[in-house]
Amino acid sequence: MTRPLSIFGSNSTPQLGPFEQQVLQELWSRGSATVREMLADGKMYQAYTTVMTTLDRLYKKGLLDRTAEGRAFRYTPRLTSEELQRGAALDGIRQLLESGNTSALPLSYLVEALSTHDAQLLDQLQLLIEQKRRELQANEANMSAPKVKELH
Amino acid sequence: MFALRGIAVSLTFFVLVYCCLSALVVISWRWLRWLHAAEQSVADLLFLLRVLPLFASIVFTVAFVVPSFQILEPRSANEGTGTLPLTLGLAALSLIALGSWRVVAAQRRTARIVALWLEGATPFETGSDTVTLRSHRLTPPLTLVGMRKPRVLVSDSTVELLTANELSIALRHELAHIRSYDNLKKLVFRFAPFPGMASLESAWSQAAELAADDAAVSNANNAVDLASALVKLSRLIPAKAAVEPAAVCTVGFVTGTISARVARLLAWDEAGRSREPLIPRWLAIPPVAIAIFCSFLAYGPVLNITHEVTEWLVR
Repeated sequence: MTRPLSIFGSNSTPQLGPFEQQVLQELWSRGSATVREMLADGKMYQAYTTVMTTLDRLYKKGLLDRTAEGRAFRYTPRLTSEELQRGAALDGIRQLLESGNTSALPLSYLVEALSTHDAQLLDQLQLLIEQKRRELQANEANMSAPKVKELH
Repeated sequence: MFALRGIAVSLTFFVLVYCCLSALVVISWRWLRWLHAAEQSVADLLFLLRVLPLFASIVFTVAFVVPSFQILEPRSANEGTGTLPLTLGLAALSLIALGSWRVVAAQRRTARIVALWLEGATPFETGSDTVTLRSHRLTPPLTLVGMRKPRVLVSDSTVELLTANELSIALRHELAHIRSYDNLKKLVFRFAPFPGMASLESAWSQAAELAADDAAVSNANNAVDLASALVKLSRLIPAKAAVEPAAVCTVGFVTGTISARVARLLAWDEAGRSREPLIPRWLAIPPVAIAIFCSFLAYGPVLNITHEVTEWLVR
């Protein structure tokens, strides 16, 4: 029952409504679930058929896998939350790039000036940031320590 | 015939001054790398240089060429327009048409993309006067759209990924772009095409980013938060998607890659910032005032010289 469709290979990441997002969040926290299991703990107040239809819609959008379990289906997310966000951002950027020369558009982006960075470089930068954060915290602690002493 | 000749001559002067000044700017703008000033001043100077050819050619044409022709050209003269003024006049018209088309095309493309992004967007409370919208569609992480009524678009993933401090400082970065009218400046660039200006525009873009970083950051903690936001949001944009903007934006003396921006933010110190002087904008007033005063004093002779050049061109 696994659908061979790659959503990142398609033109765009599917749009999700609020309830679809809620259902997806629930599946991410559970790992996998049937409709009955999702309704069992009382977090969702929607009707059985509403949840079933939503899960089916998410499956058709390529966001879930499903396997038959008795007379029902067990649904599993195909992507992690991070992968979905990444896909959505990529699609936004792709949309921009397809519109021609991006610098020609009167728009400003926080991360417009991208180099051909890779995950390793970003990891290194993240480490430097964490290190700097620790340094600053240590400095602040040192600064506040004498004041505490003075108060005593 | 007189009017046609006047228009052709005016347009000829316009295109000649525009091309000469643009070529001069393309050759010489890199000298600004030796300037030791705050990024905001660098961005201002680069913008000034970029629009100088257009502005100066319009002023020269309106203030000198048109009056010299109207005052000094005998109306009864049965002269032809001349091949050179006609050709250059047509070139000027083509240049104006190309500039206008680029502006309209950029605006239309932007409007189309922004309309898609704004579908279903909801207000996002930030505590600032600027309208900030949370887009639930496929948008870049954090974007400033619009010129007359600028709006900041924040994507769902940005809100989820960034901490409150990081998001707040990233929004302050975008507000700095609003205060500098950076989107409007980008549109002005579209109106003045000239080969070789892309690297200057790219350098301006980098300087504007760094200036916005500087404006957003007021202490070392802010700087670390902004650096962290940059890295986190960069992770959302894979290198594959970044190839084209990188090709456009990495030229110029202000390096603007993510790593350079992060390194600059991590090295942030208040004393260092104050050593980079902000060149006051009012300093532009004295040279302009002197130029106007000199033009006023030498107006008659300049008109005569302009007319002589006109005659030479027509013949």
